[in-house]
Amino acid sequence: RISMSVTEIRSGFTAIKANIQARDPIRTLSILSHPQSLHKVKSSDRCCIIHNLFNFYMDKVFKHCQTEDSYINRKISSIANSFLSIKRKLEQCHNQNKCLCGQESTEKFKQILANYEGLNITSAAIKSLGELDILLDWMEKSR
Amino acid sequence: EDALLPSPQNISILSTNMRHFLTWSPVTIQGETVRYSVEFQGEYEREYANESWIPICECSLITATVCNITEDISATVAYNLRVRADTGARRSQWGTLKGFFNRITTSLTPPPMKVIADGYHLLVELKDMGPAFQFCVLYWKKGQESRMHWKMVKDVSSTVHLDTMEAGHDYCVKAQTYVETINRSSSFSQTQCVRAQGGRSLWL
Repeated sequence: RISMSVTEIRSGFTAIKANIQARDPIRTLSILSHPQSLHKVKSSDRCCIIHNLFNFYMDKVFKHCQTEDSYINRKISSIANSFLSIKRKLEQCHNQNKCLCGQESTEKFKQILANYEGLNITSAAIKSLGELDILLDWMEKSR
Repeated sequence: EDALLPSPQNISILSTNMRHFLTWSPVTIQGETVRYSVEFQGEYEREYANESWIPICECSLITATVCNITEDISATVAYNLRVRADTGARRSQWGTLKGFFNRITTSLTPPPMKVIADGYHLLVELKDMGPAFQFCVLYWKKGQESRMHWKMVKDVSSTVHLDTMEAGHDYCVKAQTYVETINRSSSFSQTQCVRAQGGRSLWL
């Protein structure tokens, strides 16, 4: 059922993608894909990266994406609550130790945090939200 | 701000087939038009966003006492909902839904279904109930209930071909809906049976 929730997240994101990406003036930098694409992550590290990224979006991204547009805010709420329901399911894996972090994924996630902290919070949060389809594509492609 | 208006009472949810409506009793004030505004709060807002509430603009300052919240109840988590009354000059306290609402509790009804015998072809028409819905269709030759076949149907935009029938035999069909996001199914529809063309005439 995670796949169905991802589908719901994607439809919520598609509805606001253009608006969110238009709020991100920094075109030359990526939070998720710099310097290495998520697609380089080994399958054994996949669960750990997803787990960390879901926490990243919950803790650092959604709450700093408030806009003046009620429709956008409602869609962000939809995405965030869908993230939360997936996160609950992932925690079951994580609690059963099926989600070990290797050296590579630890480095990869550190890089993502460094990219994020290289910008001011609002810009970093909006850029991260605007890159959500990178995460969704990678999650669906590497299922 | 003067909060003399009574807050809306009997706030409840009507949820059927993943369509969710918030309803409440009207607040009546002699000679005044009372309007209502609705807000929601998901589990994310409670746990990560300082228990913030989000207004539903389609249900801001409305006179109706019902609000379609389907669009905003878009995750399988517990939601809080509240509504308040407003006459322009005065406003009530928020009235909050007793307990949370989770879409997992929606009631699922059997799907409307039409079974067609098109010559030797057993067909079924199912109504599109929205993107969240799939259909589990069971079909069998009458009298051979122990040898049921089933088909999972996602796309109901066109008639679904189930089987090629033997001449003159009766075939029966029943269906239920399945919603993957909440991992629940409806009960089965009434069984419908049709007869394939051909075979011995009834009047023999």
